[in-house]
Amino acid sequence: MITTTGLSKHFQDHEVLKSINIEVAAQDIVVVLGPSGSGKSTLLRCLNGLEDISGGSFEVNGIVVDATASRRLRQQATRNIRKQSGMVFQQFNLYPHKTALGNVIEGLITVKKLPKDQAVTIGRKLLDRVGLADREEYYPSRLSGGQQQRVAIARSLAMEPAVMLFDEPTSALDPELVGEVLSVMRELAQEGMTMLVVSHEMKFAREVATKIILMADGNIIEEAAPQRFFEDPKEERTRRFLRQINEI
Amino acid sequence: MQLVFDNLPFLLKGAGFTLLLTLVSMFFGLIIGLVVAIARLKGNLPIRWIARFYVSIIRGTPLLVQIVIIYYGLVDYGITLGSLTAAYIALSVNAGAYLSETFRGAILSVPKGQLEAAYSTGMTPWQAMRRIVLPQAMRIAIPPMGNTFIGMLKETSLVSVITVSELLRQAQLLIAQYYQYMPFYLGIGVMYWIMSTGLAFILERFERRLAKAY
Ligand SMILES: Nc1ncnc2c1ncn2[C@@H]1O[C@H](COP(=O)(O)OP(=O)(O)OP(=O)(O)O)[C@@H](O)[C@H]1O
Ligand SMILES: [Mg+2]
Repeated sequence: MITTTGLSKHFQDHEVLKSINIEVAAQDIVVVLGPSGSGKSTLLRCLNGLEDISGGSFEVNGIVVDATASRRLRQQATRNIRKQSGMVFQQFNLYPHKTALGNVIEGLITVKKLPKDQAVTIGRKLLDRVGLADREEYYPSRLSGGQQQRVAIARSLAMEPAVMLFDEPTSALDPELVGEVLSVMRELAQEGMTMLVVSHEMKFAREVATKIILMADGNIIEEAAPQRFFEDPKEERTRRFLRQINEI
Repeated sequence: MQLVFDNLPFLLKGAGFTLLLTLVSMFFGLIIGLVVAIARLKGNLPIRWIARFYVSIIRGTPLLVQIVIIYYGLVDYGITLGSLTAAYIALSVNAGAYLSETFRGAILSVPKGQLEAAYSTGMTPWQAMRRIVLPQAMRIAIPPMGNTFIGMLKETSLVSVITVSELLRQAQLLIAQYYQYMPFYLGIGVMYWIMSTGLAFILERFERRLAKAY
């Protein structure tokens, strides 16, 4: 579903991603771990075309973006990829001038050009799915962080993505609100959604992930199934990372 | 003071023109301002450059000079405009430059995450601008826009120099007739004050209604 081949990204002379190769198969739940500044967000942003890649290539659901292709071709491919992949941000980024329902149906109306009543039907179904059927008229400013993030997930799902990218979806939340977002993500996983998740929620990673990737300094240090990753890491860097996590 | 009341219909006609000039040039100024703001943010290099040049010239010269150039100066190039047309053009072009700065600032102050969220659902840059960024930017722009609006009401008095029969010009005509200054100037002063506080009141209500929306 997602393959990156020698994907690299630098900002001026700062190399943030150094030849990354990852593979996310259909229905995989891949959790990316790594210290701050290791390039996790940048990787997701590249995959969603929010950053232009510097080298290598990647493929999402059959659409290829190659750093050596012309800028126009890359942009075209990027736009097609965005229609097939949903992105959930750490800061939710809900549209403050639209209600919960308005946020969910915006893409259906503007991008998919669905008639309003059809969009509303789909939007209500999705709000119900994330447990917010009774909040459709609320503006984001009147929703809790956890509710906002669930609306944001519904907004992404509305576009019927083949794969969902999550960038630390619970990091901006108060601890007591983390659970409600994670349980929506667990349900998604059970329904067979392909997911690439940057997160520090170790319990979620352990229980839901099909594969864990550890990144540091723009490199992939280790990738393994959760059990092996946590019980028997091969790399010293991974052991150090897990020790640091456990101390918190 | 009796003189002012006797000539009130004449002065009110001038006040009507003042309001008309304000509304029309504000309307076109908003359109010019929006187009120029987007040109400066999204245009290619030459377009950005032209837009910047326009804003710089308008903001760097007095409105009075702009008015006389458009009315008297263009005649040298065979362009003869009626005084009212010249007034509309000068005021709109002037307001457009200031409003473009307001809009540009407002557009830039919409958080980057808003655009990214819009892009990630597959919107084109134009769709994201129209549906997500501009509605938020407009809200931010409303208080400074209101100030420009009220400023414009007062600055219309400058087009009296090209004989547009707005409020100041009407007063000057009456003064020429009666050889009395103070009553007429005071009278129109009060009329300007009533119009601008009235306008401010309406704008404030409008602003508050919008603020309540989310
Ligand atoms: N637009 C940018 N311009 C310049 N440098 C950037 C930019 N975006 C990110 N970086 C740099 O790239 C590096 C990786 O950033 P990134 O946000 O991908 O890290 P991260 O792994 O997501 O970290 P965190 O856990 O703190 O979110 C950092 O050193 C950051 O300063
Ligand atoms: Mg990050």
